[in-house]
Amino acid sequence: MPLLKVRNIETYYGPIMAIKGVSFDVEQGAIVTILGANGAGKTTILKTISGVMDPEKGSIEFMGQPIEGLPPDRIVRLGISQVPEGREVFHDLTVKENLMMGAYPRKDRDGIKKDLQMVYGYFPILGERTAQLAGDMSGGQQQMVVIARALMARPKLMLLDEPSLGLSPLLVKEIYAIIKRINTEQKTTILLVEQNAPMALSTASHGFVLELGRIVMDDSCDALLANEDVKEFYLGIKEEGVRGERRWKRKKKWR
Amino acid sequence: MGQLSWFNNSSRGPTDMETSVLAECNTIPRLFWKRVGQWSDRTALREKVFGIWREISWREYGQHAKYVGLGLIELGLSRGDRIAIISENNPEWLYSDMGILAAGGVTVGIYPTDSPNQVEYVLNHSGAKFYIAEDEEQLDKVLEVRDTIPRLQKIIIMDMKGLRHFSDPMTISFDELLTMGKKLDDHQPGLFRERLEGPQPEDLAILIYTSGTTGPPKGAMISHRNILDTMAMQNEVNPGYENDEVLSFLPLCHIAQRMVSTFNSLLGGYVMNFVEELETVPENMREVSPTIFFAVPRIWEKFYSALVLTMKESTGLEKAAYRWATDIGQKVSDYRLMGSESPWHLKAFFKLAEWTVLRNLKKMIGLNRARYCLSGAAPISPDLLKFYHGLGIDIREVYGQTENCGPTSIHYEGDVKFGTVGRPLPGAQIRIADDGEILLKGPHVFMGYYNDPQKTRETIVDGWLHTGDVGRFDADGHLIITDRKKDIIITAGGKNITPSEIENQLKFSPYINDAVVIGDGRKYLAALIMIDDENVMKYAQENRIPFTTYASLTKAREVIQLIQREVDNVNKKFAQVETIKKFRLIDIQLTTDDEEITPTMKLKRKFISEKFKDVIESMY
Repeated sequence: MPLLKVRNIETYYGPIMAIKGVSFDVEQGAIVTILGANGAGKTTILKTISGVMDPEKGSIEFMGQPIEGLPPDRIVRLGISQVPEGREVFHDLTVKENLMMGAYPRKDRDGIKKDLQMVYGYFPILGERTAQLAGDMSGGQQQMVVIARALMARPKLMLLDEPSLGLSPLLVKEIYAIIKRINTEQKTTILLVEQNAPMALSTASHGFVLELGRIVMDDSCDALLANEDVKEFYLGIKEEGVRGERRWKRKKKWR
Repeated sequence: MGQLSWFNNSSRGPTDMETSVLAECNTIPRLFWKRVGQWSDRTALREKVFGIWREISWREYGQHAKYVGLGLIELGLSRGDRIAIISENNPEWLYSDMGILAAGGVTVGIYPTDSPNQVEYVLNHSGAKFYIAEDEEQLDKVLEVRDTIPRLQKIIIMDMKGLRHFSDPMTISFDELLTMGKKLDDHQPGLFRERLEGPQPEDLAILIYTSGTTGPPKGAMISHRNILDTMAMQNEVNPGYENDEVLSFLPLCHIAQRMVSTFNSLLGGYVMNFVEELETVPENMREVSPTIFFAVPRIWEKFYSALVLTMKESTGLEKAAYRWATDIGQKVSDYRLMGSESPWHLKAFFKLAEWTVLRNLKKMIGLNRARYCLSGAAPISPDLLKFYHGLGIDIREVYGQTENCGPTSIHYEGDVKFGTVGRPLPGAQIRIADDGEILLKGPHVFMGYYNDPQKTRETIVDGWLHTGDVGRFDADGHLIITDRKKDIIITAGGKNITPSEIENQLKFSPYINDAVVIGDGRKYLAALIMIDDENVMKYAQENRIPFTTYASLTKAREVIQLIQREVDNVNKKFAQVETIKKFRLIDIQLTTDDEEITPTMKLKRKFISEKFKDVIESMY
């Protein structure tokens, strides 16, 4: 049984339908990615899963239990944590306080202590700066704080929204290596939304391409990496053409 | 009447003025130039630039055409040279077409969706000297293959966007061409007049490449006389006037759109409106609200589906009003088509229905001002025609082929009979051969295939054009098409079956876009079906059928069941041997870039049967 089952969800912003009927599964233990351009509806899907937004139609099942329409805090307690886009730390709290906010729903003091050590293991810099205000940290460190904060809730499924946004290529590599480690070592299933397609496709095992609120491709990441349309429109690889430069785009076919 | 009726839609048939103008101007350039002088300040074309409709007068149209023609002469065009145009519909297409013809050249239209190899074929086959490309994309196609096109001398580019840093001795911009033309005109003011008198009525004017279902495309040779006679014949039964508006959106290299939105306006003087792109046709339809509208069946099916699905989502009251209004519309249309007056109470109800419901429905698809509409280039379901007549839209079917400039037979104004394709054009003769093939004689029969005397001899025999279609006349003299001669299916049981009839019924379903019926030499009939993605996705959403991609949608059990129900409904209308026993859904989304589909968006039987050979075999 898949860990997460999304069926026919439609989500609106006022009168505008952002998600026009999306269905997919996320298998236990996998890293699955959703690629798409700005405004394709990637973040809206994550928000609909985590309960920040409610779908107008469709259902979401997590470990066999329907969760659509539940309040976000209930969903967190069930084991889904979202890492929002744009490094939203609590600026006026220290690193440790930020991490403890992630453990807010938990009661097991010992477990929380152990997990603090676990995240410091993944992000040593956070262990060195536990007392620093999160707002004073660099962008890369803030990104580490939000991932670590999500981990503190001991999620079974982590929703990652553009972890590479605004980070240097070196940092992106570093963060992705840690994501991969968390996935293997902690058995955390990850649903990853990314614009950085090369990074996402090399990290995940399965991927979806979302266009205008609809899934147009559904395949293994290896197959997606080899797909002509993915290459041209998401990886920026295209034949140079006869003139050595080409501005016009082929028609997307998605097959 | 004469002069007055020119400005009045109520007149029937051509006026004296039109007839005399054709006697006086017996080539396209002569007629065009006459119109430019006569209609100088009137609007000829409209195009949308940065969101605003811009009007182009006949004078502007003429001036541009003149400079294109002279520019090409400066580049070395001699009489009879072929010049290719590859572009979406835009004013530059028309400037080029008229310029080429006036300079004594021959216009060769290439589909903008063609691949570099297809472009290479047409350029080499026609021996084109110049290549007028819309933009960077069309330029790249020719650059990729130009080494193998020895006769090509110059490439002219309409839109230089993205090419600022590109230079190549073989290319110039369209603006440069116009400047060259203007310079030459300043130098030799009489030259253009002199040149446009050059072409003779019997001369080759345009080459239309037809996508052959077998073998490579053939270049149909159309003379000035062919075009002018077709215009006159057409105008006699379905006239256009200066206050008419047409929308130009189907490819101009196809004969139908070329006649409707380039040549015919030289007679009627109506305004040609260019859509921004194919995707914006629905919006542009509503903005322009054309009074004469030509479209292929696929478009009519789309509008129908849109209306039907909108009604499905409406309230109970709206549904009742819709049923009531279309019911009255049907009755009125029945009376009208029988040639009799409706009773007064029905007329009163119809007025009411028009004001409350029908008007809004027509507005939704931008046909509220349509005087008449035409469907052609592929067979259309009679039920669909009936539906539109019920809305009060006077839609007429035209049947024909490139080889006679388009219209072979057509529904005349006030003489629409469903299930038939109307009567031969006035001045044309249609004969049914012993084997049922439709043969045609008339001034619009083409000159033959370019550089292919063999094919020409097979097609025109003793002056009769062999259409390759099989048909018959009904008791009233209306032509009924059975099918393409070579498409007729003979099942293993020896039964003759005409697939298009069944296919048209299938296409009538809002969930089916197109279908290919198979069964030649087989025990039973089967079909490959292309679903209507929008409508089927909507259905899947409403019924909570999970799917991810298009392919997964076509594999969903509930979707297959939905189509099965549609197929079952169609099967009820046919005899046992003519029913579809099995079908498969095409699991890739075909676009006009694919060779399995024509630029006018029909499935190509041959390519489909080849590409999906395994799928077909799996049904037997």
